[in-house]
Amino acid sequence: MFALDPRTKLVLTLLYATLLVLSVQPAWLLAELGVLLLLILALRVGWRYLRWLRLVGAMTLFWFAIAWWSFDLATAALTSLRLLSLTSVFFLFFQTTTPEDLGNALVKTGLPYAFAFVLSSSLQFVPVISRKAQNIIDAQRARGIPLEPGWAAVRHYPALLAPLLIQSFQLADELAEALEARGFARPGRTFWRDYRMRFHDWLVLAGAALILTAAILLR
Amino acid sequence: MLAIRHLTFAYAGAESRPVLADISLDIAPGEYVLLCGAGGSGKSTLCRTFNGLIPYFHEGTMQGEVQVAGRDTRTHSVGDLFAYVGLVFQNPAAQLFNSTVERELAFGLESLGLPRAEIRRRVAESAELVGITDLLSRPPGQLSGGEQHLVIIAGMLALHPRLLVLDEPFANLDPANVRRILTALRAINQRGTAIVLTEHRLHYALAEVNRLVVLHQGRIVQDGPPRAVLREDLTAYGLNLPLVVRIAQHLGLPEIPLTVDELMTTLGEAAIPPELLPQRPDVAVKPGAPVAQFEQVSFAVGGRNILRDINLDVYAGECLAIVGANGAGKTSLIRHLNGLHRPTQGRVLVLGQATRRARVSQLARQVGLAFQNANDQFFKFQVWDEIGAGARALGRYDEAWLHELAALFRLEPLLTRPPYRLSEGEKKRVAFAAALAARPDILILDEPTAGQDGHFRRTLGDLLHQLRLRGQTILLVTHDLDFAEQHASRWLLLAAGEVPATGHPWEVMADSAALARAHLEPTQAFHLHAALSAYAAQHEV
Repeated sequence: MFALDPRTKLVLTLLYATLLVLSVQPAWLLAELGVLLLLILALRVGWRYLRWLRLVGAMTLFWFAIAWWSFDLATAALTSLRLLSLTSVFFLFFQTTTPEDLGNALVKTGLPYAFAFVLSSSLQFVPVISRKAQNIIDAQRARGIPLEPGWAAVRHYPALLAPLLIQSFQLADELAEALEARGFARPGRTFWRDYRMRFHDWLVLAGAALILTAAILLR
Repeated sequence: MLAIRHLTFAYAGAESRPVLADISLDIAPGEYVLLCGAGGSGKSTLCRTFNGLIPYFHEGTMQGEVQVAGRDTRTHSVGDLFAYVGLVFQNPAAQLFNSTVERELAFGLESLGLPRAEIRRRVAESAELVGITDLLSRPPGQLSGGEQHLVIIAGMLALHPRLLVLDEPFANLDPANVRRILTALRAINQRGTAIVLTEHRLHYALAEVNRLVVLHQGRIVQDGPPRAVLREDLTAYGLNLPLVVRIAQHLGLPEIPLTVDELMTTLGEAAIPPELLPQRPDVAVKPGAPVAQFEQVSFAVGGRNILRDINLDVYAGECLAIVGANGAGKTSLIRHLNGLHRPTQGRVLVLGQATRRARVSQLARQVGLAFQNANDQFFKFQVWDEIGAGARALGRYDEAWLHELAALFRLEPLLTRPPYRLSEGEKKRVAFAAALAARPDILILDEPTAGQDGHFRRTLGDLLHQLRLRGQTILLVTHDLDFAEQHASRWLLLAAGEVPATGHPWEVMADSAALARAHLEPTQAFHLHAALSAYAAQHEV
């Protein structure tokens, strides 16, 4: 899967997601999840998957409980299985494709570079902003403004949001300046990596399309 | 290479005073220039005119002209100029936007539209030159501050610029990281790339550069070889001159020394005036009762030891400095005092009470902490409300005391201004006043001098003195040993989470093994004191 073009991986992910959405038999869904798990093991991202599952698993259980309460057990099991499989296929996609590769490959297909950059860099800044938020919470708590999780914090939210917004704007300004200083706006950008749809990319896509069509017909 | 003629610039919408006034400056290939001046003197603005960010990116009115390798910045865009002038900004977080170091270095080359093979070759070459080859596959966000700066420098270097400009690269770095960058810069300069560096702590760069330019209120007031410029009277410009330079100026020595050893050889038989002699920092404060205690404190995050077996008593009324390099655990240590961290082992007592169960908001009454980045706390529209916000939340609002603080920190003219619009030095003063608003028993200042000019250091020194006269217990957290030596009567040295030495500043610095372990360098005052003692001992024999 590593050798595939990012675009191939994206289309594969979307096709697989379609298959998951269309599957109504629990046995099918289980088999499809099984295929994903095998892929995860084959790519040696099992540990990361487990760590990620701690978060998504809790979410899925929550969903399961709600669905059971409002519909019935069978619906709850089916929909939570589908939810878990859907999130797993995207997990797999992001494990094998960096956002930059995806963005740059899409640029080759005609997406303006600025869009691709926003796509890839916004993920880069998630940890920066979350660290900033943590620093702000600590700074405010240190002077007695209770921003620890809880009802009391709601009243004091401006103490978190105002510095976070001001600093995010400032960061955006500085980023724009730094980008400018490294030629972001200059036309004629090349890419360090080559993004080309090779024969096996097309082969894999054709196979996937066939399988999906067959699955829809057999349903 | 770079030619500036009668450049005047004012930001759009700002007060009528131009930030740069009639600047003329030529920089030849291979020069190494230190650009210095107080905060607000126009250094950063001047740097941004070199590659056309001014007037293209920052709007304003510009007169005069700037030429880069024969190209006028008014008719060429930043996209045309960036490969000639590499500009490195102060905040690394805003300059690293790729998933790996390798991609970071490739980014500018991709902008230039270079062929793939050439990009690979240049990435490898510049990584090698700066010494970060082992970091190429790492995500930049996980590197240390010093490494991040090296990555940005390498990214600029890959473009083969004629001029490399660095705007205060050392502001948050400890001596070892500063040396690492200076070594890389020297190698770059020796290959013929001109360098312009702005920095407040002159003693690091003075011996490296071959030209010193002093900026004051937007004008170039001095320009020449460092030793020539340093002979002039520079008192009005808010610089932070090294001690040996001040002594040499005072004595009117014909040749200005840059290091203690140079001073000792130039000095001959001339006596250093007693008021400039390194004074043994005062130890006058009688230790009162301990107000905070660390008892065999260890602290680990995710199995990694951050602090190991720390024992410390903080006495009422003392000024204690916690000194150590970046990442030594200084900030982790002080965060134990207000409950932001809890010890993994051992215990921390504040006013005799263990912090384990105490709430942060409860400890905030006893411990006032001003973090390094003052912007993290500003959320009110007026300085006055900002100072009182914490005290109000703690139910300790005392208007008379706030007025007293405003007077002490000279904030009266600023009280109705929005805090985030102040200068960085003013912001810090607001944050310090806010930390004292609830009348805490202990005041902690985290890296208070980082990125600040000589004016600010002197003002802060006066403030600390005033506070100590009132009996305030103060903890300074810093890798700025000059400042810690002048104002703290006791040091706790931290090296990788352990305490290799503690005691009087000069005793700590005399333990050269401990200091080396902590990756710090002794101050000029201590160095000079040691040299003078050795000299005296020699002449008695």
